[in-house]
Amino acid sequence: MRPLIQKELSLCLHPTEIVFLCFAALVFVPNYPYEVIFFFAGLSAFFHCMSARENGDLAFTCALPVRKRDVPLARIAVAVLFQCILLLLTALCIAVKQLTFPAELLVNRAGNSANLAFCGFGALLSGAFNLAFFPMYYKDPNKVGVPFVVSSAVQFALIAVMVALRQFPFYAPLASSDLSHCGMKLAVLLGGLALYCALTALSAWLSMKRFERVDL
Amino acid sequence: MYALEVENLKKVYRNFTLGGLSFSVEAGTIAGLVGRNGAGKSTTLKSVMGLVSSEGTVKVFGKEFPKDESAAKEAIGYVGGGFRFYPNRSLSAVAKAVARFYPHWDGQAFRRDCEEFALVPTKKVRELSEGMKLKFSLALALSHGAKLLLLDEPTSGLDPLSREDLCDALLSLKARGVTVLFSTHITADLMRVADKILYLANGTLLADEPLAGLVGRYRLARFSSADEAKAANAIGVKAVKDGFEGLVTGLRGREATLDEIIIHLEWERRRA
Repeated sequence: MRPLIQKELSLCLHPTEIVFLCFAALVFVPNYPYEVIFFFAGLSAFFHCMSARENGDLAFTCALPVRKRDVPLARIAVAVLFQCILLLLTALCIAVKQLTFPAELLVNRAGNSANLAFCGFGALLSGAFNLAFFPMYYKDPNKVGVPFVVSSAVQFALIAVMVALRQFPFYAPLASSDLSHCGMKLAVLLGGLALYCALTALSAWLSMKRFERVDL
Repeated sequence: MYALEVENLKKVYRNFTLGGLSFSVEAGTIAGLVGRNGAGKSTTLKSVMGLVSSEGTVKVFGKEFPKDESAAKEAIGYVGGGFRFYPNRSLSAVAKAVARFYPHWDGQAFRRDCEEFALVPTKKVRELSEGMKLKFSLALALSHGAKLLLLDEPTSGLDPLSREDLCDALLSLKARGVTVLFSTHITADLMRVADKILYLANGTLLADEPLAGLVGRYRLARFSSADEAKAANAIGVKAVKDGFEGLVTGLRGREATLDEIIIHLEWERRRA
């Protein structure tokens, strides 16, 4: 698996994948739909798959001494690596913001406030993207655009639900921008991470199964 | 000992079926897979490599797909129709990524082959000519000590001198004990290097025998009429300038080239 991941990083990586990591800093922008940050993690996976397609990577890789079913796993592992780095950078930026910004600037009127629960929602958004994108992509790796449009639509639908939930009173503790209700926010974070792991594992399993039937 | 054993290899597409191929290639020999465009040559090689999902059994030096997929592929150097991968990467970057997959990668051999083939490792893949791309593929395959080379149409798109170079390279590989199976529709190359011919027509294996046996069996005879050809039991009789031509197994006519044998066998199959 290690050589496969190294090959993904050295031969298929698109420069924008690094640039998109910097978008974690969007949490510093006042009144902004911060959930969009996790759309960029999906966009990063899309660029990676497109770069791989333009390089004829899958046919080349499958001729190397690897099992065909391991090939999708390596690419998903790279996507997970970038999603986790983005999540960590976002959490870091949120911590800096909480410590340095005045209280009135911590309130987000355009979406959810940047807090622990938000990171949980971010993980859920990335997991949903993985489940929608990769199995569809590995059914026919020549088509990268359609899986991306579908998975982005899924992500934006979830973002709309998250923003709408903010209008309900029961959601207020999770939307708060201060350090109150930390227990509840932590539970949402852990729940989001657990869902991320489950959705990504299911995505990997489906992708491996589908890719074995693909004719290169 | 067999380098490659294929049994009942079957692949069904919507408009084409590769129908239950069985053949083997002895270690240290060169086998040519011939047939017209669309006969199933690339599908056969891709099925052997597991690049397309197919039915049947494939063994490489006794290691079976998909049970020992990694180990079997380790012994193979596959060159699928020129090196059209990673055009913007340098040769050394591609080689570095590939080397990690092979425990027996020989960096010195790679550098030596690059020198021998006049490949500059700092050059990008897109800067190479078709012939040089093929040589790069061969250099990669040889550096991990491939014992079986599967080459898909390696000579198409090459000028006569480059084709000659490749044929020389294949013969020197054979001398080093490497087994080669290559598909082509340029039969002149096969006459130069092949020990064995696998002749494929419309997904069916029509001939699997030593080159000398196939070429020695048939002669090309000319007839003044179709009836005369029929009386002589000629195979694949077709009208030509000033009469008819067909393959015969007797002493009549002249020695047939591999091209002529294939054309007339194909003609016979189509008429049938």
